[in-house]
Amino acid sequence: MSEKNSLQALFLRPKNWQMDSVKKENVWILSVNVLLVGILLSALMWFGFSRLQYVFMWEHVWYYRINMINGFLMTIVISISSLGLSVLLGIFFGLAQRSRIHMLRIFSRIYIEAIRGTPLLVQILIFFYVIANALGLNNRYVAGILIMSIFSGAYLAEIIRAGVESIGSTQIETARAIGLTKRQTYRFVVFPQVITRVLPPLAGQFASLIKDSSLLSIIAIKEFTLAAREVNANTFSTLESYIPLAIGYLLLTLPISYLTGRLERRYRYET
Amino acid sequence: MRLNILDMTKEFGNHRVLDSVSLYLEDVRSLVLIGPSGGGKTTFLRILAGLEPITSGEIMVNDHRLSCSEEKLLEYRKHIGMVYQAYNLFPHLSALENIILPLTRVHGMTKRDAEDHARSLLKRFHLEEHAAKRPVALSGGQQQRIAICRAVAIKPEFLLLDEPTSALDPEYTSEVLDLIRELHEEGMDLILVTHEMGFAHSAADYVLFISDGGISAQGSPAEIFEQSENHRVSRFLDKVLKYTK
Repeated sequence: MSEKNSLQALFLRPKNWQMDSVKKENVWILSVNVLLVGILLSALMWFGFSRLQYVFMWEHVWYYRINMINGFLMTIVISISSLGLSVLLGIFFGLAQRSRIHMLRIFSRIYIEAIRGTPLLVQILIFFYVIANALGLNNRYVAGILIMSIFSGAYLAEIIRAGVESIGSTQIETARAIGLTKRQTYRFVVFPQVITRVLPPLAGQFASLIKDSSLLSIIAIKEFTLAAREVNANTFSTLESYIPLAIGYLLLTLPISYLTGRLERRYRYET
Repeated sequence: MRLNILDMTKEFGNHRVLDSVSLYLEDVRSLVLIGPSGGGKTTFLRILAGLEPITSGEIMVNDHRLSCSEEKLLEYRKHIGMVYQAYNLFPHLSALENIILPLTRVHGMTKRDAEDHARSLLKRFHLEEHAAKRPVALSGGQQQRIAICRAVAIKPEFLLLDEPTSALDPEYTSEVLDLIRELHEEGMDLILVTHEMGFAHSAADYVLFISDGGISAQGSPAEIFEQSENHRVSRFLDKVLKYTK
C-alpha cells in the first residue's frame, strides 16, 4: 500500500499542488521526472539516428562558424529593427480601425486581413520582386526589414485594437465626465493600461518574428537560416548545419517565452 | 442651484427617451430623481452632466446654457462633479493619483498643490491610509468614497450622483451615504438618482418622479412619499418599499 502511494507521489501531481510553495521534495520529484523525460527523448533521437546510419562531421561546420555567427547576429538585427517598426505600424493601424474616417478604417481592415490571410512566403516574394522593384528599393536588407515589419504590424494591430477595446466604456465615460479631452483620455487613461495588457502578447509576437524571419533566406538575405543553408551546400553536412540552427533559434525564443510567462503572471496579479 | 428646462427632448435613433420635458426650479439644494428603470432618469442625469447633447429644447443650469457642441459641453463639465454606480476609479492609478489627475490635467493646478489638496480631502474623510492603494485593493465602499472625493476636489458647482450605492454590497451603502450627507450639510448642491428611498426622503429638497419619458410627478419629499395621489408613484413606491417595512 505504502509502496503504491510513494510511486503515485513520484509521478502524479497531488490535487492541492501549488507551484508557489516549492518545497524541497517537490524539487526532487520534478528533477527525477525531468531526467526521465530527457532519457526518453534521447532514446527516441538515438533510435532515429541509428536507423539513418548518419556519420556526424562537426569539423566541417566548425570551419564555417563565423558565417553562422554572422547570420545569427543578422537575424537579431533584423528581428529587433522589424519589431520597432512593426510596433509603430501596429499602433497606427490598431487605432485606425477605430477612426471616424471611413477610408482609414477600410484601408486598415484590408491591410490586416490581407496580411494575416496570406502566407509570409508569398508576401516576401511579391514585396521584393514587385513592390520593392517598382519603388527602386535595392537594399535587400532594408526590404527584408520592411516586409517583416508590415507582416508583424498586422498582427500587432489586432493585439493593440483588442487591448484598447478591453478598456471598459465606463472608464472612457468617467474620463469625459472629469473633463479630459479625447487626446488626454488616450494619453492618461487608455495607453498606460493597454501597455501592460499587450506586453505579454507583444513578447509572443516578437518570438514569432524571430522564427518567421528565417523565410527571408529565400530572397538571399544572409541571416541565420541562409547561413546554415550555405554551410550545408558547401559541406553536405545537413544535420550538422541545421541542428545548430534550431538551437540558435531556441536560444533567442526561450528567454522571450520565459519573459512572456512572467509578464502574464504579473498582469494577472494586477487585476 | 437653478434649473430651467424648456421643452427638452432626447432621442436615441428613433427611440424617444425624454419627451418635451419642462421644469423650472430655483434654490434647490438637493434634487432627487426616482422612478422605474428605463424611465429616463439616468438619461436625464447624463444630460445635466453635459455628457449627452439633447435633441431639441433648451436647458439652463445655473448660468450655463447647455449647448449641443462637444467642446462647449466639455467646458461645462469642468464645473460639475459626476459619480457613477461603480468602476469610477481608473484601475492603473492609486487613490491619490485618481484625485490628482483632473486637478493637474484639467484644472491647471501644479502637482504639489494638487497633491496637498487631495491629501487634505482624503484625510478629512478618513481615507488617508488608502492614498497609495490601487482600486483593486479597496472595498467597493472605499472606492466609491474616493470617487466622490475626486468629484468634489475640483470644487464643483454641484455634484451629480447616478445610483452611487446600487452596485455596492449592502454593508458599504451607509458609509457612502454618510459621506454624501456630510458634503450636503457643508453646502454642496446635489442631484441624485437613487433607489435608497429612506435617504431620498431625508436628504432631498425636491423629488422628481421620472417615468415614461417625462416627469410624472414632482414635489417635496413629503408630497411624493406620503401624499402622492399619482397611481404610478404609489405603485412604484409599494414595490420598492415592499420589504423595508
